[in-house]
Amino acid sequence: MPVEMSSRRSSSRISDEEISELISKLQSLLPESRRRSMSRASAAKLLKETCSYIKSLHREVDDLSDRLSDLMSTMDSGSPQAEIIRSILRS
Amino acid sequence: MQVPNSFKLALLKQMLLGFQLSAVSSNSMSFHERKNAIKLSADAAMVFARGSTRWTRGLVASLSKNRNNDGLLRGILGKKYERLSLPCCNSWKIPRSRKILKRCLGLCSRRKKATGPQHDVESSSTLARRLAKKRIQVLKKLLPGGESMEGFSLLDQTLDYAVSLKAQVDIMRRLLKISKASNLNK
Repeated sequence: MPVEMSSRRSSSRISDEEISELISKLQSLLPESRRRSMSRASAAKLLKETCSYIKSLHREVDDLSDRLSDLMSTMDSGSPQAEIIRSILRS
Repeated sequence: MQVPNSFKLALLKQMLLGFQLSAVSSNSMSFHERKNAIKLSADAAMVFARGSTRWTRGLVASLSKNRNNDGLLRGILGKKYERLSLPCCNSWKIPRSRKILKRCLGLCSRRKKATGPQHDVESSSTLARRLAKKRIQVLKKLLPGGESMEGFSLLDQTLDYAVSLKAQVDIMRRLLKISKASNLNK
């Protein structure tokens, strides 16, 4: 008896639909440029692109932290914070 | 895929709170101290905004490993800290969801191959499967708390995490832009 048979019963918990929805969401998450080269996503390709996307986000956070750190050293504390919140809320 | 505005707002507020608590604009900090405070504030704020899910608990766990982070973490997370520090129990769903996911990603072999002499050249599908498995390992290391996740949960949490990370980047970028502008006006 092939093992696949029992999987059919248990898949009522997580449907095939949910899985393909998840996979297409992951694909749509990736920036346009990466997506174009993935007309028929293989598992390996999707995972690779997802991993490199997350790594690039990590690098961005690191870079932004560098720049904010530079900037914060020249700002005086107190009122700029409130000003910043106000202007962000406005935009 | 986008987070709601309420998420971004909460992230921003808590991040700025973190900056105040760690006094990032004081002159007494070194560049690295300041940068670490900023990163920690950003991460804790992201956790606060997202609430309790597997990756946020994983992130709190890894941030708490450094005792020095305690004060700032508690300051930003407030009452949520305790809830987020609870250990994750492994879902019973895991063995099934791994099988289901792997089937849909085309990673399962249809039948057991008969034992015999090893083939010198692997089929492309076997190679693809091996590659995918390797990349799943990479993903598990990238995702906070990922080591204890499998299959569907792993991908689901990855999506959730990536969306939140993107929002964190957006907020930090805008903050940088506005801070620069307000700095020039002095």
